[in-house]
Amino acid sequence: MNVQEYISSGIVESYVLGLTSEEERREFENMCNQHPEVLAARNAFEIALENQAMQNAITPSAEVKNKLFNEINATAKVISIADQAPVRKINWFKYAAAASVILLAGSLYFNFSLTEKNKKLNGEYNNTVAELNSIKKDVQVLTDKSEIKMASLKGTAVSPQSYTTVYWDSTSHDVYLLINNLPKPPSDKQYQLWAFLDGKPIDVGFISNEYFIKQNSLLVKAKSVQKVQAFAISLEKIGREDTSVPAGEVYVYGGL
Amino acid sequence: MNQTKTYSEQELVGLLQERNEKAFGYLYDNYSGAIFGIINAIVTDKDIANDVLQNVFINIWRKIDSYDTSKGRLFTWMLNIARNASIDEIRSKGFRNSQQNQSLNENVDVAGASSGPSVEDVGLKKVLSTLKSEWRVLVDMSYFQGYTHEEISKILNIPLGTVKTRIRSALSQLRTMIQP
Repeated sequence: MNVQEYISSGIVESYVLGLTSEEERREFENMCNQHPEVLAARNAFEIALENQAMQNAITPSAEVKNKLFNEINATAKVISIADQAPVRKINWFKYAAAASVILLAGSLYFNFSLTEKNKKLNGEYNNTVAELNSIKKDVQVLTDKSEIKMASLKGTAVSPQSYTTVYWDSTSHDVYLLINNLPKPPSDKQYQLWAFLDGKPIDVGFISNEYFIKQNSLLVKAKSVQKVQAFAISLEKIGREDTSVPAGEVYVYGGL
Repeated sequence: MNQTKTYSEQELVGLLQERNEKAFGYLYDNYSGAIFGIINAIVTDKDIANDVLQNVFINIWRKIDSYDTSKGRLFTWMLNIARNASIDEIRSKGFRNSQQNQSLNENVDVAGASSGPSVEDVGLKKVLSTLKSEWRVLVDMSYFQGYTHEEISKILNIPLGTVKTRIRSALSQLRTMIQP
């Protein structure tokens, strides 16, 4: 096929109208580069086609142009922001740096406060373990021995709500007091525990007022007593002369 | 419709590639009618054709950097964008649904395309209508409906080689008819 035959084969029109295959397209573009007459034929058909289209133009709705330019202006704004990318990058780094400093400071503070919290919790934990151990010990005292006798001390008319329990070890003669319910004593008074044998009171010790403030032990250990039939607790003035006999009001009383 | 040109094609392309809105306005004013003509030849619904026109010019604006002057004239490039967008539109599901009740649509009716000239035929279609029918249907299916040669060969039950030869002959004929 010579160039003239090639030109009149319809390839020019196929190419311009976009109807060629990829292979035909590449071949035609090569032919245009090599043969000016092919290029000229292409150009001539393009102009003819353009003129033809111009003569048969149809005026579109005026709305289209407005919409079109709105759309393009919206796009242009996006592009103009993208064009400022280097500036934005610097800002980004600044913000990132500032943010990382803030994060670091926050993290350090967080660590610090965590450490503090941890210390505090650790202290609380140790205290709790100590308390628990002391309670365990107290309970052990009561459960390990079969010789423990118990006395329930009920509230008297002075304080009907009051109630305590006394445990007496009949072999070791140790006395333990469990305060179930006793009103907090005024600061100038304190409770005193009494054992009774044959109607006579025996002093088994004072209950420290600290117990009512801290309340960190289950049992209060009192003095030992060889023989006992009943127990009582009276509220006594601090610093009275004879502490071997009760002088104040009895709050609870109960037999063994 | 021809306006006094204020830019050479080279100047216009240069300005468009710089995203010059004034040049784009000129391009639209000068060519939208011709482009709309070709869109209307493919997409017969006026409202849809207006939408396609808008999208075509948005694509022209966005893709102007990919236009290669060595491969053809600016108008040819725009015309191909318009044809491709129009064919995409008529092949879309939405368009097919909207056209379901319009059985007289020539563009989706192969038989209709070969049944002689219609009063509505304008532009290239009018030129097409002067071709002999066995050529016309091939050009119509190929150019205005976007069928590949292989598809046309199957639909019309004509050997692929014959489809190619006839389309080429038809197109070379077309050239002599639209030549000024």
